[in-house]
Amino acid sequence: MNDTVAIRTSGLAKRYGSRWALRDCTLEIPSGSVTALVGPNGAGKTTLLHLVIGLVEPTSGAVDVFGRSPRRDAKEVLPRLGFVAQDHPLHRNLTIADTLTYGRKLNPSWNKQLAVSRVERLGLSMRQKVGQLSGGQQAQVALTLALAKQPQLLVLDEPVASLDPLARREFLNAVMEAVVEEGITVVLSSHIVAELERVCDYLVTLADGATQLTGSISQIVASHRLLTGPRSDAAGVARAHDVIRESHTERQTTLLVRANGHVYDSRWEQHEVDLEEIVLAYLGYQSGNGAAATSALEMVRS
Amino acid sequence: MTWVSWRLERTEALIVLGILALLAALLVPTGIQMADAYHRDGLAACLSVNPGPTCGNKLGDFRQHFQSLIDLSNWFTLVPGLIGVLLAAPFIFDLEHGTYRLAWTQSITRDRWLLGKLGSAAVAAALAAGALILLFTWWRAPSVHLDGRLDTGNYDSTGIVVIGYTLFALALAVALGAIWRRAAASLAVAFVGYFAARVFVDVLLRDHLVAPVKATYRGTQQPSFLYNAHILSLRGATHGHEILGGSSGPAQKFATPGMNSAVFQVVYQPDSHFWPLQLTETAIFVGFAAILILFASWWTRQRTS
Amino acid sequence: MVFAMIEFHLDGRAGVPAYLQLVQQVRQAIRLGILRPGDQLPTVKEVVTRLTINPNTVLHAYRQLDLEGLIEGRRGIGTFVSAHPVPPPPDDLKALRSTLQRWVGRAREAGLDDEGIAALVAEAVRPSAASRVA
Repeated sequence: MNDTVAIRTSGLAKRYGSRWALRDCTLEIPSGSVTALVGPNGAGKTTLLHLVIGLVEPTSGAVDVFGRSPRRDAKEVLPRLGFVAQDHPLHRNLTIADTLTYGRKLNPSWNKQLAVSRVERLGLSMRQKVGQLSGGQQAQVALTLALAKQPQLLVLDEPVASLDPLARREFLNAVMEAVVEEGITVVLSSHIVAELERVCDYLVTLADGATQLTGSISQIVASHRLLTGPRSDAAGVARAHDVIRESHTERQTTLLVRANGHVYDSRWEQHEVDLEEIVLAYLGYQSGNGAAATSALEMVRS
Repeated sequence: MTWVSWRLERTEALIVLGILALLAALLVPTGIQMADAYHRDGLAACLSVNPGPTCGNKLGDFRQHFQSLIDLSNWFTLVPGLIGVLLAAPFIFDLEHGTYRLAWTQSITRDRWLLGKLGSAAVAAALAAGALILLFTWWRAPSVHLDGRLDTGNYDSTGIVVIGYTLFALALAVALGAIWRRAAASLAVAFVGYFAARVFVDVLLRDHLVAPVKATYRGTQQPSFLYNAHILSLRGATHGHEILGGSSGPAQKFATPGMNSAVFQVVYQPDSHFWPLQLTETAIFVGFAAILILFASWWTRQRTS
Repeated sequence: MVFAMIEFHLDGRAGVPAYLQLVQQVRQAIRLGILRPGDQLPTVKEVVTRLTINPNTVLHAYRQLDLEGLIEGRRGIGTFVSAHPVPPPPDDLKALRSTLQRWVGRAREAGLDDEGIAALVAEAVRPSAASRVA
């Protein structure tokens, strides 16, 4: 059971003071998958990731990583975990060489060869100070630290948020290579959906501390449809399928549905929907009002 | 973790070494001068029971030359506070810059990290304090001979209390930094706190840390038990009239004319109380340092994410 | 290092799943003779590095092509175009092409512009895509 499920949560929740950052989160992330954790800022993505890696104690519920508690069994779990926090913190005064020594001293399963060759392929000199590197290079050094300990699970908190498009592509490329070569499981959070579709095969959406959509991306895209047709109400469709979003003009109705099987109603013209549209619809769906949907739109579309 | 703690502490350790070097550069030349003057004038002989006739002048000369310098150097008692708070900086920076998240997701436990970071800071603080003690013990040797170990300036800088001071300043900065996670503010406030604590202990507590001795004596000759003692109060009366109120100045070593029949009542800390006083004061500072460090550890472990 | 004959590309906005785009590109390449029997396809790692995509996408595409008989994997060596890939026979292709050209001519006479023609074609193609996916 440990081997097919990398992360399992049940009723996981975290409260800070009077505010619930994460509520009743139950999900399973398969081993070997690359999971996108998507949601607007403040949705609870960082909280969920911190709970998964054992940085934070849950208020209620449980989380398992490869079958063990990341907090109680930290000694066993930590070596199998690679983490890059938001803004990829590093000691800016250390040279790259010192940073790698840092990793070696703190990790029993450190692969020095891997670390050194990655740095070489990045075209960086061991003597450079981390603080002098560009944002993209620093992110890559942080990723090197995480990968050189040879983890089975890689957790990345908004790894590419502050990077330019080229640096983003290079970073994700490095992650993909690690997936091909080592078969690691990856969970990465982002408030940008567009780029994740080609890199990820599993999705978890989070808004206001609650999960809405979880599942394999190909399944999600396959099971959602955009239906357009002359102005009418959604009742007929809603009997058989889940209407996620509906909007009307005077003459036309547009429905985004999660289809339970085939949609046979010939009144509706069916279109495929891309992942970004689906995610946006769910993020707006949860809050149920226009303002929240717009801000969700801003977050996810940027 | 040992390598990591030391490497991340390197800058601050170098600054502390710089401070020690600067101090040494300032003190060594004058220290040599003072020691020379002391030995050349044979001032050691003046402290015996029968000082020679020239002693008055020679001692006067010495004090004229060096006393203001010695008094000024009392301010160096702030240096342990400075060193202590500086050595807290690496720990606080880790929290301020988020690199603690990097450390806690390698393969070591949070406890191991705390032990390494705070342990190496404490060791560095103790070593620096030791260096200060050595430096000041040497520099103040003449002053110790003349005014005794219990004289405030000497007591503050040549005894093991310096280790207590440094550790306390470190611990205060660490505790504030654990909560605020801002290095500049924590260090500044901790230094002020150190200053306040020192003033409080020096002025209000020190004289009573160990029970003082009460005694009565007659005559003008300074009794030997008052030699190098720290006088808390001295009252004298002759023929029933009070001639001296409760003052706590340095012990007088020379006869004042016309006092042969006076009776003096004195409350004092004898020189032999030096070690008990030092140990008690050190224990207070180290005790509070321990409490603050434990608090900072608990706070960091439980409340930080 | 073996230089593969084909270079993949992805169109994020095409509405066609990524794996299917790779499949179509291989089919097209075989049809056009860019890929010949025995040619080696890029390794999964090479495609992943080139396109920054999930390895499963490549595996899915290669599996599909394998099922269609267009490629075969040789364990430990790589993936190769089959000795006898099955493209549509040339005769059918010619007939299809001339029927299409005639139809396009009739559509233009009826007043349809290029977009109108494309819309009709897309509509005709769509039901088969939807039914495959449900």
